[in-house]
Amino acid sequence: MVGYFIRRFLQSLLLIWIVLTITFFLMHLAPGDPMARYDHPDISPETVRMMREQLGLDRPVLEQYFRWAGSFVTGDFGTSLRYNRPVGELLKVAIPNTLRLTVASLFLYMVIGIMLGMVSAARRYSVFDRMTTVISLFLYSVPSFWLALMLILFFSLKLGVLPSSHIQSLDVSGLSGLQLFADRISHLILPAFVLGVASAAGLARYMRGSMIDVLKEDYIRTARAKGLPEGRVLMKHAFRNAAIPIVTIMGLSLPFLLGGAVIVEKIFSWPGMGGLMVDAIYTRDYPVVLAINFVVAVMVILGNLLADTGYALLDPRIRSGRRGR
Amino acid sequence: MKDENRNNDSLRNDSLNDDSLKDKSLINESLIGGTSLWSSGWSRFRRNRAGMAGAVIVLCLYMIALLAPVISPCDPVQHGDLPAMRHNPPSVAHPLGTDKFGRDVMSRVFYGSRISLTVSLLAVVIAVVIGALVGAVAGYSGGIVDAVIMRTVDALMAIPRIFLLLTCIALFSRSILLIIVLLGATSWMGTARLVRGQILSLRNKDFIIAAESLGAGSRRIIFRHLLPNTMTVMIISATLRIGGIILIEAALSFLGLGVPPPTASWGQMVFEGRDVLLGAWWISTFPGIAIIATVIGYNLLGEGLKESFDPVQFS
Repeated sequence: MVGYFIRRFLQSLLLIWIVLTITFFLMHLAPGDPMARYDHPDISPETVRMMREQLGLDRPVLEQYFRWAGSFVTGDFGTSLRYNRPVGELLKVAIPNTLRLTVASLFLYMVIGIMLGMVSAARRYSVFDRMTTVISLFLYSVPSFWLALMLILFFSLKLGVLPSSHIQSLDVSGLSGLQLFADRISHLILPAFVLGVASAAGLARYMRGSMIDVLKEDYIRTARAKGLPEGRVLMKHAFRNAAIPIVTIMGLSLPFLLGGAVIVEKIFSWPGMGGLMVDAIYTRDYPVVLAINFVVAVMVILGNLLADTGYALLDPRIRSGRRGR
Repeated sequence: MKDENRNNDSLRNDSLNDDSLKDKSLINESLIGGTSLWSSGWSRFRRNRAGMAGAVIVLCLYMIALLAPVISPCDPVQHGDLPAMRHNPPSVAHPLGTDKFGRDVMSRVFYGSRISLTVSLLAVVIAVVIGALVGAVAGYSGGIVDAVIMRTVDALMAIPRIFLLLTCIALFSRSILLIIVLLGATSWMGTARLVRGQILSLRNKDFIIAAESLGAGSRRIIFRHLLPNTMTVMIISATLRIGGIILIEAALSFLGLGVPPPTASWGQMVFEGRDVLLGAWWISTFPGIAIIATVIGYNLLGEGLKESFDPVQFS
């Protein structure tokens, strides 16, 4: 089992490498020049030429590729063309910020999604179920950038109760530890809500459907016939079976969350990988783009592996089925 | 060919003319058509209120898109008299207000539907066809083929799609066709995974083993036995994806990378209202509501279709 996952992980890394290579050449062949922003009357063409030389941009693409690849495998992601700083340094700041946002949204996503879905399925066709269905449908269909703007309009501009951007207040020097924590949480609420709750609505719909399917099974009728309390039937007999597709969907939602973070971070000026990536693409900051993609891809692959492990743990039939064929 | 048609027609006419059978026309039709699953599903769908509501919403949106030049009060790209017309709140003349160029927001919302509807529909067709084929081949073949295909899918899903889209849009010159193809080509992986999962659970069922032992080839098994049984998954998947594609197209426009201005697109309109949220809330609000209505319409439609055409759930 462990060997299987290690092998899969290595295969995935190989494929990520291939995709990154393709991306590298796509980016270099694309029209647009990272030095274009130095096209300014005050900067002499000579300086630009020297900078180009220094960054190795005057070399043939193939040579650039091998130099990039050579340093990449040693963990050196190169130097940002825009900030003129090591990409590693930029990532050291951006990754924790993005993780904070993503983990907060993942938490909201799972807790809200699973609970709404289960209660809706258990109380099928009740008022609660209908309301949840309607609200889920709405949240699932809302563009995140629009929801973000509306929440900013309401909570930040009209009511003034929640900050509309950044990770913490500009001046935090006078705050105690607890106040700083509260300040950061208040900055986290809107972006995490936008990112997590919209996806939670989708999860709730899946969870409800999955639970309803499971609740029709014979073994549920048997469990009920044995006189088990309904809560136990739901949690032990139904939930574990209904959670199997949910585990896959959660794994699938990781790139969705990270991709959604691009837009959410942009709107809330959140200093994470998403904002860094968008700016890097606009300015053709190749090393940053490639490094962020690598990091995000590894995160997603790990998430998928975790989901598959969960899948196997929850349903031993699948594990043995895989081995059988 | 002609004979066959006439034959069918005459059978249908017979059944309709026969009074004793008229009440049971539903059963009749399914017997004659030979497609009982579809016709009974269709009759169930017509009784599904949420699904029908979705169908009505989607139809209305297509009507709006088609009739945009007729029903729009103003020209969507014509600038109004500035500064008198700038940021006018909703009024009788401009039911949804005007934007910073004095353009009528309502007309722009109507015209914007053309972009969302065309792009998403074509993209989802591309996505589901690729996804179903890839998923079916992977799930049915198993072994090394499955492993190679699914690891490729994993790797593709691991690359943030928005980045792939942005790179390609930067690489090629921006056009609607490019966005359609890109959205389709980056949307099939989820469908492939779901279809594969479904096929894994079906491939050891008795009817597949029976078909195999009768000597059916793998192509026949995939297309005749497996894929029809994954219809539910494909429909759910297509529905969820068409909503998602509309949202991504809007997000691209919001980032300024969709169809180039001054063509009206909803995402771009939301972006244009961003800086004047407090003073002119209508510019961002109404295109957003249009996006939500479209996505909700498609979701309701898909759910309705799922409930109606899912033979397992209603057996």
